[in-house]
Amino acid sequence: MNNKNMLEAKKGFFDITLTINGEFLELAVKNGEFLLDALRRHGWKSVKKGCDTGDCGSCTVLLDGKPVLGCLVPAVTAHGRAVTTIEGLGTVRKPHALQEAFVAAGAVQCGFCIPGMILSSKALLDAVPAPTEAEIRKALDGNLCRCTGYVKQVEAVKNAAKKLAGKRRA
Amino acid sequence: MPEIIVKPSDLKELWEMLPGLPAARRYLAGGTDIVTADNAGAESSECWIDISGLPELAAIKETAGALFIGSGVKISEIENSKAARKWCPALAAAIPHFASPSLRNMATLGGNAANGSPCADGVCALVAEGAYVLLALKGKKRRLPLRELFLGPKRTALKKDELILAFEIPKRPHAGVYLKLGPRAYFGISKAAVALTAELSGGTIKRAVVALGSVAPVPLLAVKTSAWLAGRQLSPQTAAAAAAMVKAEVSPITDTRSEAQYRREMCGVLLERALGGLR
Ligand SMILES: Cc1cc2nc3c(=O)[nH]c(=O)nc-3n(C[C@H](O)[C@H](O)[C@H](O)COP(=O)(O)OP(=O)(O)OC[C@H]3O[C@@H](n4cnc5c(N)ncnc54)[C@H](O)[C@@H]3O)c2cc1C
Repeated sequence: MNNKNMLEAKKGFFDITLTINGEFLELAVKNGEFLLDALRRHGWKSVKKGCDTGDCGSCTVLLDGKPVLGCLVPAVTAHGRAVTTIEGLGTVRKPHALQEAFVAAGAVQCGFCIPGMILSSKALLDAVPAPTEAEIRKALDGNLCRCTGYVKQVEAVKNAAKKLAGKRRA
Repeated sequence: MPEIIVKPSDLKELWEMLPGLPAARRYLAGGTDIVTADNAGAESSECWIDISGLPELAAIKETAGALFIGSGVKISEIENSKAARKWCPALAAAIPHFASPSLRNMATLGGNAANGSPCADGVCALVAEGAYVLLALKGKKRRLPLRELFLGPKRTALKKDELILAFEIPKRPHAGVYLKLGPRAYFGISKAAVALTAELSGGTIKRAVVALGSVAPVPLLAVKTSAWLAGRQLSPQTAAAAAAMVKAEVSPITDTRSEAQYRREMCGVLLERALGGLR
């Protein structure tokens, strides 16, 4: 058999290589571990562990640019792929337009759902730079927030879209 | 989760590696069902074969007479395909009701079928579209009407290692509707679902196919109701009569999601609404 295609756990760990937030890395992931847990164990704590069943969306990360649920992705299958967490979007000093807009709109209460929500919004704006309210609501369908009524998050995404459009024109 | 994960890069490599793999093995596509089963302790393979890298399963293709949707195509890719929306209107209508956007970026149509659940939305819609399923096991290929793939809850006609390659949908201009009754408007497994496709000529139904989800041991083709609808005027009377008929064709059970009697009633309500929504 061609070994390049086989990953076998050694002493309970798989060694995988992947890109995380633009950086090419080697990562030891446990046999049976999900991408969510592997990322948290290695320090990417923005990826939140909520329901662990694919329902709440708080573990959303971008895999090759598309939102997926970290709690359902066997970590080993991220081998060779590109992961984006919110740490890769912006920093406190240099926030992404979406992060700024969420803060400005007061869209953050407890904050637990926000990394996932912003990553889903990022994927939306990458594909549809000027989304309608219906498109925003649809894109955030799988990101549950138990504090708010979603009104301010939707507002924030609209504002971020406008700001990004302005930046593109400039 | 198994300790061995293999990822063939094409079909040839898959067939070559099979003999060398542990006997307790399964395919891993988007993982959304198999991982959920694994978490529930209902999955005990020694090896998962990650088929997400197989280029042969990844495309939506068209010939003069049919549309082919690869088994590895993600639900979100179907959503964005003009050809799929044109030739599979009931499937297109089912997609907004299929889990959530991020789940649709993971889940495949092949997994939806191979999992064998009577609740599978993509499959239920495809049964109404008159789809065929194309299967391969090494050199051996076969083609079945999709509904013949399902033998019972979680039981399919797939042989060991047999792979779903694609779904074939005959190109035939038609209208399609998908109505799903779940615990809430979006995101949840259905209590009952109705997929309807129809060819209309003026106010007459030339041909109709009704399929139902979550109300029988398999995604159900309502043979009698579908046949009865052919040639009828599209009217509230026709819709009411079809609704009464379909309630006798389903065999729902009571489980954690709903009750048998409610489900049966809702099949009638959903079909009446679906017929009312045809244009
Ligand atoms: C939170 C959540 C919500 C969900 N909501 C819905 C919903 O609304 N509607 C719905 O229909 N489903 C829903 N599902 C179920 C699931 O997402 C779908 O059934 C999905 O299509 C499965 O595809 P997959 O690629 O993830 O399959 P996998 O989990 O990878 O595979 C499922 C099974 O199919 C086999 N298999 C996969 N591909 C092939 C192939 N090409 N040939 C042969 N065998 C194959 C695997 O071996 C496995 O046994 C939901 C699941 C979760 C976790």
